[in-house]
Amino acid sequence: MSAGQLAASRHWDGEFVVYNNLSGDTHLLGADAMLVLHRLQQGEADTAALLAALHEGADAPAAARAALAAELEAMLDDLRRLALIDAAPC
Amino acid sequence: MLTVAALGPAELAARLAGDGLHLRTAGFSVCLRSRIDSVARGIGLLYADYPLLAADDFADFRLSLERPAGARRWFKPQVRLLYDGNSLFQPLPLAQAFPMFEWGLNWCVSSRANEYLIVHAAVVEKHGCAAILPAPPGSGKSTLCAALVGRGGWRLLSDELTLVRLADGALVPLPRPVSLKNGSIAVIRDYLGDAVLSPAVRDTVKGTVAHLKAPADSVARAAETARAAWLVFPQYRAGAAVRLDALSRAQSFMRVAGNSFNYSLLGRRGFDALGRVVDASAGYALEYGRLDDALALFERLAGQRLAERAA
Repeated sequence: MSAGQLAASRHWDGEFVVYNNLSGDTHLLGADAMLVLHRLQQGEADTAALLAALHEGADAPAAARAALAAELEAMLDDLRRLALIDAAPC
Repeated sequence: MLTVAALGPAELAARLAGDGLHLRTAGFSVCLRSRIDSVARGIGLLYADYPLLAADDFADFRLSLERPAGARRWFKPQVRLLYDGNSLFQPLPLAQAFPMFEWGLNWCVSSRANEYLIVHAAVVEKHGCAAILPAPPGSGKSTLCAALVGRGGWRLLSDELTLVRLADGALVPLPRPVSLKNGSIAVIRDYLGDAVLSPAVRDTVKGTVAHLKAPADSVARAAETARAAWLVFPQYRAGAAVRLDALSRAQSFMRVAGNSFNYSLLGRRGFDALGRVVDASAGYALEYGRLDDALALFERLAGQRLAERAA
Protein backbone atom coordinates (compact mmCIF):
# COMPACT_ATOMS: atom_id res chain seq x y z
CA MET A 1 0.00 0.00 0.00
CA SER A 2 1.10 3.59 -0.51
CA ALA A 3 2.43 5.28 2.61
CA GLY A 4 -0.29 7.08 4.57
CA GLN A 5 -3.07 5.27 2.79
CA LEU A 6 -6.24 4.37 4.64
CA ALA A 7 -8.45 2.96 1.92
CA ALA A 8 -12.09 2.50 2.86
CA SER A 9 -14.23 -0.01 1.07
CA ARG A 10 -17.74 -1.36 0.75
CA HIS A 11 -18.82 -4.49 -1.02
CA TRP A 12 -21.95 -5.96 -2.48
CA ASP A 13 -22.28 -9.31 -4.26
CA GLY A 14 -18.57 -9.80 -4.86
CA GLU A 15 -17.91 -6.29 -6.14
CA PHE A 16 -16.03 -3.69 -4.14
CA VAL A 17 -15.87 0.09 -4.18
CA VAL A 18 -12.69 1.45 -2.67
CA TYR A 19 -12.08 5.00 -1.55
CA ASN A 20 -8.45 6.11 -1.78
CA ASN A 21 -7.90 8.77 0.86
CA LEU A 22 -4.68 9.92 -0.81
CA SER A 23 -6.06 10.57 -4.28
CA GLY A 24 -9.67 11.19 -3.25
CA ASP A 25 -10.73 8.81 -6.01
CA THR A 26 -13.12 5.88 -5.74
CA HIS A 27 -12.58 2.68 -7.71
CA LEU A 28 -14.66 -0.35 -8.57
CA LEU A 29 -12.67 -3.52 -7.94
CA GLY A 30 -13.34 -7.22 -8.34
CA ALA A 31 -12.92 -9.76 -5.57
CA ASP A 32 -9.41 -10.84 -6.65
CA ALA A 33 -8.06 -7.28 -6.78
CA MET A 34 -9.58 -6.64 -3.38
CA LEU A 35 -7.98 -9.77 -2.00
CA VAL A 36 -4.60 -8.54 -3.22
CA LEU A 37 -5.24 -5.13 -1.70
CA HIS A 38 -6.22 -6.67 1.65
CA ARG A 39 -3.07 -8.82 1.60
CA LEU A 40 -0.94 -5.75 0.95
CA GLN A 41 -2.69 -3.85 3.74
CA GLN A 42 -1.27 -6.44 6.11
CA GLY A 43 2.26 -5.74 4.90
CA GLU A 44 4.58 -5.90 1.94
CA ALA A 45 4.35 -9.02 -0.16
CA ASP A 46 6.07 -10.33 -3.27
CA THR A 47 4.36 -11.80 -6.30
CA ALA A 48 4.73 -15.34 -5.02
CA ALA A 49 2.96 -14.50 -1.75
CA LEU A 50 0.18 -12.73 -3.61
CA LEU A 51 -0.21 -15.67 -5.98
CA ALA A 52 -0.43 -17.99 -3.00
CA ALA A 53 -3.18 -15.85 -1.55
CA LEU A 54 -5.07 -16.03 -4.83
CA HIS A 55 -4.56 -19.80 -5.17
CA GLU A 56 -5.88 -20.44 -1.69
CA GLY A 57 -4.16 -23.84 -1.77
CA ALA A 58 -5.94 -25.00 -4.92
CA ASP A 59 -4.01 -27.65 -6.84
CA ALA A 60 -4.43 -26.01 -10.24
CA PRO A 61 -2.60 -27.18 -13.41
CA ALA A 62 0.51 -25.29 -14.49
CA ALA A 63 -1.29 -23.54 -17.36
CA ALA A 64 -3.91 -22.15 -15.02
CA ARG A 65 -1.22 -21.00 -12.59
CA ALA A 66 0.60 -19.23 -15.42
CA ALA A 67 -2.60 -17.52 -16.51
CA LEU A 68 -3.29 -16.41 -12.96
CA ALA A 69 0.26 -15.06 -12.65
CA ALA A 70 -0.28 -13.01 -15.80
CA GLU A 71 -3.60 -11.74 -14.44
CA LEU A 72 -1.89 -10.79 -11.19
CA GLU A 73 0.74 -8.75 -13.02
CA ALA A 74 -1.97 -6.88 -14.90
CA MET A 75 -3.90 -6.39 -11.66
CA LEU A 76 -0.82 -4.99 -9.90
CA ASP A 77 -0.24 -2.62 -12.82
CA ASP A 78 -3.84 -1.41 -12.48
CA LEU A 79 -3.57 -0.93 -8.72
CA ARG A 80 -0.29 0.99 -9.16
CA ARG A 81 -1.88 3.15 -11.84
CA LEU A 82 -4.73 3.92 -9.44
CA ALA A 83 -2.18 4.90 -6.78
CA LEU A 84 -3.53 2.25 -4.44
CA ILE A 85 -0.19 0.42 -4.14
CA ASP A 86 3.49 1.16 -4.63
CA ALA A 87 6.24 -1.13 -5.82
CA ALA A 88 8.74 -1.64 -3.00
CA PRO A 89 12.44 -1.35 -3.89
CA CYS A 90 14.06 -4.77 -4.25
CA MET B 1 -47.49 30.96 7.83
CA LEU B 2 -47.96 33.46 5.03
CA THR B 3 -47.04 32.30 1.58
CA VAL B 4 -46.10 34.22 -1.53
CA ALA B 5 -49.73 33.78 -2.67
CA ALA B 6 -50.77 36.22 0.05
CA LEU B 7 -49.13 39.02 -1.88
CA GLY B 8 -51.01 40.57 -4.75
CA PRO B 9 -49.08 41.17 -7.98
CA ALA B 10 -48.40 44.81 -7.07
CA GLU B 11 -47.14 44.00 -3.56
CA LEU B 12 -44.99 41.15 -4.90
CA ALA B 13 -43.43 43.41 -7.53
CA ALA B 14 -42.88 46.11 -4.91
CA ARG B 15 -41.07 43.75 -2.55
CA LEU B 16 -38.91 42.40 -5.36
CA ALA B 17 -38.04 45.92 -6.46
CA GLY B 18 -37.42 47.11 -2.91
CA ASP B 19 -35.53 45.36 -0.14
CA GLY B 20 -36.19 42.01 -1.72
CA LEU B 21 -38.61 39.12 -1.46
CA HIS B 22 -37.66 36.74 1.35
CA LEU B 23 -38.97 33.27 0.83
CA ARG B 24 -38.18 29.79 2.04
CA THR B 25 -37.49 27.02 -0.42
CA ALA B 26 -37.38 23.97 1.84
CA GLY B 27 -34.19 24.16 3.91
CA PHE B 28 -32.89 27.32 2.28
CA SER B 29 -33.94 30.92 2.67
CA VAL B 30 -33.62 33.20 -0.33
CA CYS B 31 -33.74 36.95 -0.69
CA LEU B 32 -34.46 37.90 -4.29
CA ARG B 33 -34.42 41.42 -5.71
CA SER B 34 -35.46 42.34 -9.21
CA ARG B 35 -37.36 45.01 -11.09
CA ILE B 36 -37.85 42.74 -14.10
CA ASP B 37 -41.51 42.00 -14.85
CA SER B 38 -40.96 38.43 -16.06
CA VAL B 39 -39.22 37.56 -12.79
CA ALA B 40 -42.16 38.86 -10.74
CA ARG B 41 -44.59 36.96 -12.94
CA GLY B 42 -42.55 33.76 -12.68
CA ILE B 43 -42.31 34.01 -8.90
CA GLY B 44 -46.02 34.78 -8.60
CA LEU B 45 -46.92 31.83 -10.81
CA LEU B 46 -44.53 29.15 -9.56
CA TYR B 47 -43.68 30.12 -5.98
CA ALA B 48 -47.16 30.98 -4.69
CA ASP B 49 -47.08 28.11 -2.16
CA TYR B 50 -43.69 28.94 -0.63
CA PRO B 51 -43.50 30.49 2.84
CA LEU B 52 -42.73 34.16 3.07
CA LEU B 53 -40.06 35.25 5.54
CA ALA B 54 -39.69 38.57 7.31
CA ALA B 55 -37.52 41.15 5.61
CA ASP B 56 -34.95 40.98 8.41
CA ASP B 57 -34.69 37.18 8.45
CA PHE B 58 -31.35 35.63 7.60
CA ALA B 59 -31.03 34.66 3.95
CA ASP B 60 -28.82 31.75 2.91
CA PHE B 61 -28.69 33.15 -0.60
CA ARG B 62 -29.04 36.77 -1.68
CA LEU B 63 -29.74 37.01 -5.38
CA SER B 64 -30.46 39.95 -7.59
CA LEU B 65 -31.51 39.98 -11.21
CA GLU B 66 -30.96 43.28 -12.91
CA ARG B 67 -30.57 44.88 -16.28
CA PRO B 68 -27.08 46.16 -17.01
CA ALA B 69 -26.82 49.89 -17.53
CA GLY B 70 -25.80 51.47 -20.81
CA ALA B 71 -26.66 50.62 -24.37
CA ARG B 72 -27.67 47.11 -23.40
CA ARG B 73 -30.83 48.54 -21.88
CA TRP B 74 -31.97 49.30 -25.40
CA PHE B 75 -30.10 47.03 -27.83
CA LYS B 76 -30.42 43.30 -27.28
CA PRO B 77 -31.32 43.88 -23.62
CA GLN B 78 -29.71 41.61 -21.11
CA VAL B 79 -30.08 40.43 -17.54
CA ARG B 80 -27.33 39.67 -15.08
CA LEU B 81 -27.47 37.68 -11.87
CA LEU B 82 -25.75 38.96 -8.76
CA TYR B 83 -24.93 36.68 -5.86
CA ASP B 84 -24.23 38.58 -2.65
CA GLY B 85 -23.81 41.64 -4.85
CA ASN B 86 -21.23 40.01 -7.12
CA SER B 87 -21.72 39.12 -10.73
CA LEU B 88 -20.43 35.57 -11.22
CA PHE B 89 -22.02 34.73 -14.54
CA GLN B 90 -22.14 36.07 -18.06
CA PRO B 91 -25.26 38.18 -18.70
CA LEU B 92 -28.05 36.50 -20.63
CA PRO B 93 -30.76 37.87 -22.92
CA LEU B 94 -33.44 39.61 -20.87
CA ALA B 95 -36.08 37.07 -21.88
CA GLN B 96 -34.11 34.46 -19.90
CA ALA B 97 -34.38 36.33 -16.59
CA PHE B 98 -36.65 33.84 -14.82
CA PRO B 99 -34.76 30.73 -15.99
CA MET B 100 -31.59 32.50 -14.87
CA PHE B 101 -33.03 32.76 -11.36
CA GLU B 102 -33.73 29.03 -11.35
CA TRP B 103 -30.27 28.18 -12.66
CA GLY B 104 -28.67 30.63 -10.24
CA LEU B 105 -30.47 29.14 -7.25
CA ASN B 106 -29.43 25.66 -8.37
CA TRP B 107 -25.85 26.92 -8.52
CA CYS B 108 -26.13 28.37 -5.01
CA VAL B 109 -27.28 25.08 -3.55
CA SER B 110 -24.97 22.83 -5.56
CA SER B 111 -21.90 24.88 -4.83
CA ARG B 112 -22.58 25.92 -1.23
CA ALA B 113 -24.66 23.30 0.59
CA ASN B 114 -21.83 20.95 1.41
CA GLU B 115 -23.51 19.57 4.50
CA TYR B 116 -25.18 17.32 1.94
CA LEU B 117 -23.94 14.96 -0.70
CA ILE B 118 -25.55 16.59 -3.73
CA VAL B 119 -26.40 14.36 -6.67
CA HIS B 120 -27.56 15.62 -10.04
CA ALA B 121 -30.74 13.62 -9.88
CA ALA B 122 -34.49 13.89 -9.56
CA VAL B 123 -35.93 12.30 -6.44
CA VAL B 124 -39.55 11.35 -5.76
CA GLU B 125 -41.21 9.54 -2.87
CA LYS B 126 -44.20 7.31 -2.23
CA HIS B 127 -45.11 5.47 1.00
CA GLY B 128 -41.94 6.82 2.63
CA CYS B 129 -39.67 5.23 0.00
CA ALA B 130 -37.74 7.40 -2.43
CA ALA B 131 -36.62 6.75 -5.98
CA ILE B 132 -33.49 8.63 -7.00
CA LEU B 133 -33.24 9.24 -10.75
CA PRO B 134 -29.69 10.29 -11.65
CA ALA B 135 -29.19 11.06 -15.30
CA PRO B 136 -27.42 13.45 -17.65
CA PRO B 137 -29.37 16.10 -19.58
CA GLY B 138 -31.44 14.67 -22.41
CA SER B 139 -32.21 11.40 -20.68
CA GLY B 140 -35.84 12.23 -19.97
CA LYS B 141 -35.25 12.53 -16.22
CA SER B 142 -37.24 15.71 -15.66
CA THR B 143 -40.04 14.60 -17.99
CA LEU B 144 -40.40 11.36 -16.06
CA CYS B 145 -40.19 13.24 -12.77
CA ALA B 146 -42.92 15.67 -13.86
CA ALA B 147 -45.18 12.78 -14.86
CA LEU B 148 -44.56 10.89 -11.61
CA VAL B 149 -45.45 13.87 -9.42
CA GLY B 150 -48.16 15.29 -11.68
CA ARG B 151 -50.06 12.10 -12.37
CA GLY B 152 -48.44 9.17 -10.58
CA GLY B 153 -49.09 10.35 -7.04
CA TRP B 154 -45.43 10.58 -6.12
CA ARG B 155 -44.15 13.42 -3.93
CA LEU B 156 -41.58 15.73 -5.45
CA LEU B 157 -38.41 16.07 -3.42
CA SER B 158 -36.47 17.61 -6.30
CA ASP B 159 -36.19 17.34 -10.04
CA GLU B 160 -32.56 18.41 -10.16
CA LEU B 161 -30.70 18.19 -6.83
CA THR B 162 -30.87 15.16 -4.59
CA LEU B 163 -29.64 16.17 -1.14
CA VAL B 164 -28.27 13.30 0.97
CA ARG B 165 -27.76 14.36 4.58
CA LEU B 166 -24.25 13.34 5.57
CA ALA B 167 -25.13 12.52 9.17
CA ASP B 168 -27.70 9.82 8.48
CA GLY B 169 -28.22 9.37 4.74
CA ALA B 170 -31.75 10.86 4.84
CA LEU B 171 -32.95 12.48 1.62
CA VAL B 172 -33.79 16.12 2.29
CA PRO B 173 -36.48 17.64 0.03
CA LEU B 174 -35.88 20.68 -2.10
CA PRO B 175 -39.14 20.91 -4.03
CA ARG B 176 -38.88 23.61 -6.66
CA PRO B 177 -40.24 24.06 -10.16
CA VAL B 178 -39.43 21.23 -12.55
CA SER B 179 -37.25 22.31 -15.43
CA LEU B 180 -38.54 21.10 -18.78
CA LYS B 181 -36.79 21.45 -22.10
CA ASN B 182 -37.71 21.43 -25.75
CA GLY B 183 -40.12 18.63 -26.72
CA SER B 184 -40.82 17.65 -23.13
CA ILE B 185 -42.68 20.94 -22.54
CA ALA B 186 -45.52 20.01 -24.88
CA VAL B 187 -45.39 16.38 -23.75
CA ILE B 188 -45.98 17.34 -20.12
CA ARG B 189 -48.55 20.02 -20.97
CA ASP B 190 -50.55 17.38 -22.85
CA TYR B 191 -49.93 14.58 -20.35
CA LEU B 192 -50.91 16.49 -17.23
CA GLY B 193 -53.67 18.62 -18.70
CA ASP B 194 -53.88 21.02 -15.76
CA ALA B 195 -50.14 21.66 -15.51
CA VAL B 196 -49.08 25.16 -14.43
CA LEU B 197 -46.13 26.05 -16.64
CA SER B 198 -44.13 29.22 -17.02
CA PRO B 199 -44.00 30.67 -20.54
CA ALA B 200 -41.51 28.87 -22.77
CA VAL B 201 -38.25 30.76 -23.23
CA ARG B 202 -36.47 30.05 -26.50
CA ASP B 203 -32.82 30.03 -27.53
CA THR B 204 -31.26 29.39 -24.14
CA VAL B 205 -28.11 27.31 -23.83
CA LYS B 206 -30.45 24.41 -23.04
CA GLY B 207 -32.77 25.11 -25.95
CA THR B 208 -36.36 26.10 -25.18
CA VAL B 209 -37.11 25.89 -21.46
CA ALA B 210 -40.19 26.17 -19.27
CA HIS B 211 -40.76 25.41 -15.60
CA LEU B 212 -43.56 23.32 -14.13
CA LYS B 213 -45.02 24.42 -10.80
CA ALA B 214 -44.17 22.03 -7.98
CA PRO B 215 -47.24 20.35 -6.42
CA ALA B 216 -48.50 22.29 -3.39
CA ASP B 217 -48.47 19.13 -1.27
CA SER B 218 -44.79 18.57 -2.02
CA VAL B 219 -43.98 22.15 -1.02
CA ALA B 220 -46.03 21.81 2.17
CA ARG B 221 -44.15 18.62 3.12
CA ALA B 222 -40.71 20.06 2.43
CA ALA B 223 -39.53 19.34 5.99
CA GLU B 224 -40.37 15.64 5.67
CA THR B 225 -37.29 13.63 4.75
CA ALA B 226 -37.40 10.28 2.97
CA ARG B 227 -35.30 7.15 2.75
CA ALA B 228 -33.76 5.93 -0.50
CA ALA B 229 -35.23 2.70 -1.82
CA TRP B 230 -34.35 2.73 -5.52
CA LEU B 231 -31.67 4.15 -7.75
CA VAL B 232 -33.16 4.28 -11.24
CA PHE B 233 -31.08 5.55 -14.16
CA PRO B 234 -33.66 6.56 -16.78
CA GLN B 235 -33.20 6.85 -20.50
CA TYR B 236 -35.99 7.91 -22.83
CA ARG B 237 -35.98 6.37 -26.30
CA ALA B 238 -38.83 7.15 -28.68
CA GLY B 239 -41.00 4.11 -29.27
CA ALA B 240 -39.06 1.87 -26.87
CA ALA B 241 -40.87 -0.69 -24.76
CA VAL B 242 -40.34 -0.14 -21.06
CA ARG B 243 -37.38 -2.12 -19.82
CA LEU B 244 -35.86 -2.36 -16.36
CA ASP B 245 -32.46 -3.99 -15.98
CA ALA B 246 -30.99 -4.61 -12.55
CA LEU B 247 -27.64 -3.01 -11.82
CA SER B 248 -25.19 -4.23 -9.24
CA ARG B 249 -24.93 -2.02 -6.19
CA ALA B 250 -21.27 -1.34 -6.86
CA GLN B 251 -22.10 -0.19 -10.40
CA SER B 252 -24.90 1.98 -9.03
CA PHE B 253 -22.48 3.49 -6.52
CA MET B 254 -20.02 4.46 -9.24
CA ARG B 255 -22.71 5.91 -11.47
CA VAL B 256 -24.19 8.03 -8.69
CA ALA B 257 -20.74 9.23 -7.63
CA GLY B 258 -20.18 10.31 -11.23
CA ASN B 259 -23.44 12.29 -11.15
CA SER B 260 -22.62 14.07 -7.90
CA PHE B 261 -21.63 17.72 -7.64
CA ASN B 262 -19.52 17.44 -4.51
CA TYR B 263 -18.65 13.77 -3.99
CA SER B 264 -14.93 14.39 -4.46
CA LEU B 265 -15.01 17.52 -2.32
CA LEU B 266 -16.55 15.63 0.61
CA GLY B 267 -13.95 12.86 0.52
CA ARG B 268 -14.56 10.01 2.95
CA ARG B 269 -17.80 11.59 4.22
CA GLY B 270 -19.22 11.49 0.70
CA PHE B 271 -18.11 7.87 0.29
CA ASP B 272 -19.85 6.86 3.52
CA ALA B 273 -23.04 8.82 2.76
CA LEU B 274 -23.35 7.33 -0.71
CA GLY B 275 -22.58 3.89 0.70
CA ARG B 276 -25.57 4.20 3.03
CA VAL B 277 -27.83 5.19 0.13
CA VAL B 278 -26.63 2.27 -1.99
CA ASP B 279 -27.00 -0.16 0.94
CA ALA B 280 -30.69 0.71 1.05
CA SER B 281 -31.39 0.95 -2.68
CA ALA B 282 -32.03 -1.47 -5.50
CA GLY B 283 -30.36 -0.20 -8.67
CA TYR B 284 -31.87 -0.29 -12.15
CA ALA B 285 -31.30 1.02 -15.66
CA LEU B 286 -34.66 2.07 -17.06
CA GLU B 287 -35.43 2.54 -20.73
CA TYR B 288 -38.85 3.91 -21.58
CA GLY B 289 -40.70 5.25 -24.58
CA ARG B 290 -44.12 5.94 -23.04
CA LEU B 291 -44.82 7.74 -19.79
CA ASP B 292 -47.83 5.50 -19.01
CA ASP B 293 -45.57 2.44 -19.10
CA ALA B 294 -42.95 4.06 -16.91
CA LEU B 295 -45.54 5.18 -14.36
CA ALA B 296 -47.03 1.69 -14.21
CA LEU B 297 -43.58 0.29 -13.59
CA PHE B 298 -42.91 2.73 -10.76
CA GLU B 299 -46.28 1.82 -9.26
CA ARG B 300 -45.26 -1.85 -9.30
CA LEU B 301 -41.98 -1.01 -7.56
CA ALA B 302 -43.82 0.93 -4.86
CA GLY B 303 -46.38 -1.86 -4.47
CA GLN B 304 -43.67 -4.49 -4.10
CA ARG B 305 -41.99 -2.43 -1.41
CA LEU B 306 -45.27 -2.03 0.45
CA ALA B 307 -45.89 -5.76 0.25
CA GLU B 308 -42.38 -6.54 1.52
CA ARG B 309 -42.93 -4.19 4.42
CA ALA B 310 -46.26 -5.78 5.28
CA ALA B 311 -44.83 -9.34 5.12
